[in-house]
Amino acid sequence: MTQKAVISVRGLTMGFGELVLMENLDFDIHPGEIFVILGGSGSGKSTLLKHMVGLYKPMAGKITIAGMTLEPDNEDSFKKILARIGVMYQGGALFSSMTLGENVALPITEFSRLKESAVDELVRLKLRQVGLEGFEHHLPEELSGGMKKRAAIARALALNPEILFLDEPSAGLDPISSAELDALILRLNRTLGTTFVVVTHELSSIFTIAKRVVMLDKETKSIIADGDPHELKNASTHPFVRQFFNRQPEMEK
Amino acid sequence: MNTDHSTTPSPALSVNASPELLDLSLRGIIDLRTTPEIMNRLEQLPQPLPGLIRADLSGVTRMDDCGALVILQLRRMAEKNGCDLKMLGTPGHVRELLDFLRLDDPPQSVGSKRAKPDFMTRFGIKTLDVTNQAVTHVSFVGEVTVTLLSLLRHPDRLRLGDTVLYMQRVGVDALPIVGLISFLLGLIMAFMSAVQLQQFGANIYVASLVALAMVRELGPIMTAILVAGRSGSAFAAEIGTMKVSEEVDALITMGFKPAMFLVAPKIIASVLVVPLLAMYSNLFAIAGGLLIGVTTLDLTVNAYMAQTMSTLSIFDINWGLFKSAIFAVLIATVGCFKGYQVRGGAASVGQATTSAVVTGIFLVILVDSILAVILRYWRP
Repeated sequence: MTQKAVISVRGLTMGFGELVLMENLDFDIHPGEIFVILGGSGSGKSTLLKHMVGLYKPMAGKITIAGMTLEPDNEDSFKKILARIGVMYQGGALFSSMTLGENVALPITEFSRLKESAVDELVRLKLRQVGLEGFEHHLPEELSGGMKKRAAIARALALNPEILFLDEPSAGLDPISSAELDALILRLNRTLGTTFVVVTHELSSIFTIAKRVVMLDKETKSIIADGDPHELKNASTHPFVRQFFNRQPEMEK
Repeated sequence: MNTDHSTTPSPALSVNASPELLDLSLRGIIDLRTTPEIMNRLEQLPQPLPGLIRADLSGVTRMDDCGALVILQLRRMAEKNGCDLKMLGTPGHVRELLDFLRLDDPPQSVGSKRAKPDFMTRFGIKTLDVTNQAVTHVSFVGEVTVTLLSLLRHPDRLRLGDTVLYMQRVGVDALPIVGLISFLLGLIMAFMSAVQLQQFGANIYVASLVALAMVRELGPIMTAILVAGRSGSAFAAEIGTMKVSEEVDALITMGFKPAMFLVAPKIIASVLVVPLLAMYSNLFAIAGGLLIGVTTLDLTVNAYMAQTMSTLSIFDINWGLFKSAIFAVLIATVGCFKGYQVRGGAASVGQATTSAVVTGIFLVILVDSILAVILRYWRP
């Protein structure tokens, strides 16, 4: 690809204290890509995501987003980066004291000059996109787990960011909602050119949406596969990768 | 981006109005950044509108769901003024967006906005709420009592490690603050009373006043207030957060009784250490009084201590300890109870914590008053 990378990670080493999770990661994410991060449990997928949105500081290495170096301490550049990204957290992270509508409206009222009636209408459209229209006045505690996830996606979408980070968006959703979510991701990607960085385990979802995946490996603390999942499924030289995509249990030795 | 939006016409919208036709043309990117201004300009169009609105969308290069608000606004304007709306040259991507957003569908009915109920309704809700609270409170106290009584028969069921941990958190960790505050309290009391008592040459009674007031009343009360603030709140927050994250549910389904697992260690630890804290508080307050007595009232250390000893009876000390133990039960029980009542999320935990401290302190003062009255008539 000749296009300039929208996110580039160089020499990223991450971990906590003495524990090193991943060493020397290098990869680029290009504009308009649906990029999926894979890996076994505990391999540091969510941690990598949190590094990419500036919540954790890398032990070494550099992350660049939209041409700007990610430095959470530099308020100006960090603000500019934050304006271009949206994040959906694993557990939803909806504000429990606010209704769904208020949760979605919060970033819109804060960062745009829309009038209140227009904000309400936009919130309705956002919720309609994730299939939650009519739940504006519900509190998060009144929703099921899957509904909370979808509401969290609506909130992440609120400002139509260029880059959306989704942490396990379809985990805990029924197959229909999960497929609808995939369709939503594909549509946003096609019509608005939104770049997606997704952490997920759902194989069907991976094969539907992912244009490129990277797989993290706990043992070698590095990326063991990078490419189109359809090709990796059969062609990967790494047995773990083939096992993962073909849903096979650990081989007996 | 141009910041002076009021004067420069939006490049995204151009308007051409004639008596029978309103010709609008949208161009470029219609998104969150450009929409507010377009909406404003549409609202400011001179009324009444002509019979036909023609909107040309062929120049739109990109439109997001926020831009779709413009279309909705146009439709609303047309409907309100009874004019026709014609959209020309809708690009494929815009049509796709509009299809996806199902703009033609009427808005789904939203559960009524949590309207404020009228006075009688609120009165009724509040009354039911209070009765409900009373019932849950009574059943909680009952459950805790049964749990504590069962501990008498099976003391090995108590989680000893937790109990010791809470003894440390409630007692040992509170030593510095209790010591400091009591010392200053004794100091102030002696200082203030000295001004009055000196006029009668009754300096020596400063010692009696500090000792009696602290041991009988202020020691237990001050300690209780500090414990309510430090530990009652912590109990509520801890149990409340456990409820929010389904940890309490996990305990129940694993076959543990939350009252035994969570509440009993906290209450027992508090009952054991709060009276000790109160004693410690008395000690520091007397030391504070002693400092004033020796430095400003020309009393000797011996005289001050002798006066203190002769003022206090062993009953006073026991009574103070007894009260402290009662306060400890109240604070720990209320803290745990408020934690149990948490529903929902973070905001609820905050409310429970506040309520645990306020209710705890209130109950402490209330029970203290009742005990004072009882003592007045039953004093041996």
